[in-house]
Amino acid sequence: MSAALELRGLAKRYGSFVAVEGADLAVERGSFLTLLGPSGSGKTTILMMIAGFTEPSAGQLLLDGQDITALPPEKRAFGMVFQGYALFPHMSVAENIAFPLRVRGQGRAERDEKLRAALDLVQLTGFADRLPKQLSGGQQQRVALARALVFDPALLLLDEPLSALDKKLRAELQEELRALHRRVGRTFINVTHDQEEALSLSDEVAILNHGRIIQKGAPAALYERPRSRFVADFLGKSNFFQGVVRELGGGWLGVQVAGLRLRQVVDGPRPGLGAAVLLSLRPEKIAALGAEESADNIVEGVISAWSYLGAGFSLAVETALGVLRVHLPAWRAPFVPEIGAALRLGWAADAPTLVDDDDAA
Amino acid sequence: MMRREAGWYALLLPAFLLLSVFYVTPILQVLAISFLEPSPGFSNYERIGTNLSVQRVIITTLRICSITTVLALLLGYALSYTITLASERARRWWLLCVLVPLWISVLVRAFAWVTLLRRQGLINQTLQGAGVISEPLELVWNEFGIIVGMVHYMVPYAVLPMLASMREIEPRLLAAARGMGASRGQVFARVFLPLSMPGVVAAGVLVFIFSLGFYITPAILGGGKTLMVAEWISLQILDLIRWGLGTMMATLLVVTILVTLAVFSRVVNMRRLFGGA
Amino acid sequence: MEGGYSPGRFGRALGWATALYLVLPLFIILPVSMTDQRFLSLPHEGLSLRHYAALFASGEWFASIAQSFWIACASTILAVSAGTLFAIAAWRINRRATELLRALMLLPLIVPSIVYAIGLYRYFGWWDLLDRFAGVVIAHGVTGIPYVVITVSTALASFDVRLEQAARGMGASLRQVLAWVILPRIMPGIVSGAIFAFIHSWDELVIVLFIASRDVFTLPRRIWDGINENQDPIMAAVAMLLIVFTTLLLVVDLAVRRRRDG
Repeated sequence: MSAALELRGLAKRYGSFVAVEGADLAVERGSFLTLLGPSGSGKTTILMMIAGFTEPSAGQLLLDGQDITALPPEKRAFGMVFQGYALFPHMSVAENIAFPLRVRGQGRAERDEKLRAALDLVQLTGFADRLPKQLSGGQQQRVALARALVFDPALLLLDEPLSALDKKLRAELQEELRALHRRVGRTFINVTHDQEEALSLSDEVAILNHGRIIQKGAPAALYERPRSRFVADFLGKSNFFQGVVRELGGGWLGVQVAGLRLRQVVDGPRPGLGAAVLLSLRPEKIAALGAEESADNIVEGVISAWSYLGAGFSLAVETALGVLRVHLPAWRAPFVPEIGAALRLGWAADAPTLVDDDDAA
Repeated sequence: MMRREAGWYALLLPAFLLLSVFYVTPILQVLAISFLEPSPGFSNYERIGTNLSVQRVIITTLRICSITTVLALLLGYALSYTITLASERARRWWLLCVLVPLWISVLVRAFAWVTLLRRQGLINQTLQGAGVISEPLELVWNEFGIIVGMVHYMVPYAVLPMLASMREIEPRLLAAARGMGASRGQVFARVFLPLSMPGVVAAGVLVFIFSLGFYITPAILGGGKTLMVAEWISLQILDLIRWGLGTMMATLLVVTILVTLAVFSRVVNMRRLFGGA
Repeated sequence: MEGGYSPGRFGRALGWATALYLVLPLFIILPVSMTDQRFLSLPHEGLSLRHYAALFASGEWFASIAQSFWIACASTILAVSAGTLFAIAAWRINRRATELLRALMLLPLIVPSIVYAIGLYRYFGWWDLLDRFAGVVIAHGVTGIPYVVITVSTALASFDVRLEQAARGMGASLRQVLAWVILPRIMPGIVSGAIFAFIHSWDELVIVLFIASRDVFTLPRRIWDGINENQDPIMAAVAMLLIVFTTLLLVVDLAVRRRRDG
């Protein structure tokens, strides 16, 4: 596969403030990439530099190997769905969608044909003469998509496309967006701060913090194998243990954490004896053990708080390792939790991951 | 972004040139004349200390403007308060009561007041007809007439900034205060009044500086007997051909206004006043 | 305002009294203008339209109305074109320097007309613009610019910058963005500005008193002489027409604004 878009050392500074520092990123043709990060992480700045609205302070942008860094936005002509959609309020749905075609001076017949195809694509046939304010949020979002795709752009940029919608509609439109991406086969670049949206929509996710791309990869890989404390914490929840390596086995380590010896599988480079390490353990990877059951790592604890989540229970358990956050699916919880109840917790040696302590959360 | 902006700068030019050549220059010339005629120096300004007529007109103007400001603020506050608390539908009509007089020609308004207030005017005729008075009251061509006309002109200008700041007051605050047991008077004095104060100050500054240079209303309703600064300047220039004295007073007027504005610049937002109406 | 809080009796009474004080003197003109008497008064025996008839038959008044109208039209065009371009450019550039320029544009609202009028009196003498149509148009046009700058800037302030970005991102040139996206969106602001600039010129007297005398004799100038010299009820008829005219313009303005907001 070849990269459709490549960022080389792309940076943006405002005076002494660094919004984005030296971003390197290659986006595969036809893939769905999401830039994910908290607000102020620089994700929108990167998108605006790709679109051409913000001029980079340094670095290069390549489209199919061509340098487009100096090209103004109207010459790049990427499709873009803005936050809040930016539909022209004085134009009908049809006029909005046909705008990119009108700008290019295309003839009536051609325009009408493409318009019909675009309306069809987003299932808005019959809404052509409405004004944007007469549409629901979801419909407006679809008009914005149709307008961005109608002129066959090389790239589709999406700036928080679902943030204005309520939770239920958001889930529906996530599926639609995913299907649309498969149907049109274009390269999509999405920006969001919503980790669930990023995980469910994307082929690849790039996680940003403080103007830097911290980790990039497929959603499952990012969730299962976060490389740093920030990523582990931002993508879902995690328990962290600070420990020291006391034992080196074949493919595993013995890590001393607060008086306990934990068995930990490693598949990457192994830290040496005496090295300080940080372990990240997802709450759902911890099991409540029966009296007879065994596990690679076992810790005793007492429930200090709990809440019911429908699909399961969320527990806070006081242990020698500190307070552990534990998610138990309801069907596996052997009891109704009770504050003060004792509990035996266990997890497999390959459940936690070793992460860098970037302490940026 | 610079390279994409050159075209935009060109669009600033027509207005800038028009204003520089046909507005700022003639005004700067007024300032210059005040120091140059009849002879270079500060002789015109020394008259502030020595010339009785100059002193009298300054004092009269300040007195009338202060009274006008206080009255316009008082009436304007009551009106803004009523408008703020009115229903959405009623508010539209109330606003019309403010905006229509605001834009009706100042001459027409002065004319209306003359019609009402003069010796054989409607008020005197009505009162005499009803037997309340035997001799017509002197309602116009004196300071009273000027103030009636000026306050009438200024109330809309007082209402707009006060209304803007009152409408930013969260209505639930007032209901909450009532809910906590405060009386209507307490809610007004402890919550509403303090929160609306920025608007009152803005309105006060605005009314005062507008009143200072007022010409037509005082000229018509004062009947030439009570002179305010603007009419006095006109008299110096057109009738007495004393350019030095006239321009000195004009300069003094502009400086007073600009200094007042500068001092209060944080609370007066001219653009909001006209744009938010 | 919702929330179960209403003004007290005193506040409400003073509010009503103020509103009547503002509006009643204007309403008084209607019966006076229809008086059957030869002097300014309320009608005695019945209503009469003869003062309106006299007004329309009078060449003098008619000439002044026409002259005021054309001056107002010309100066409005001047103010709207210069003011709109300025407001758009200042909005787009948006730097500290343009803020200063914007403050400069507002000067005519702050500096009393009397100061400007005596300045122009001498200045226009050099340009040979005294008592000229062009001179009055320039003076009214320049002093009308702030109204346009304010209304257009206000319209632009609520203009979503992303609309411009969206248009350019889809390939529109600057000219296309201006014509198809920005101007249609701020048109209500421009219309408002034009209405205010027009009313400003139409009513302006102080400047005219100084820079015009015989050849240019506008409507406000004729009213001024009328108020000072005679008690002819024809004045009330003129005043009534002005009130109706201004109110109509304001209603148009309100309608335009409502369309913008709606």
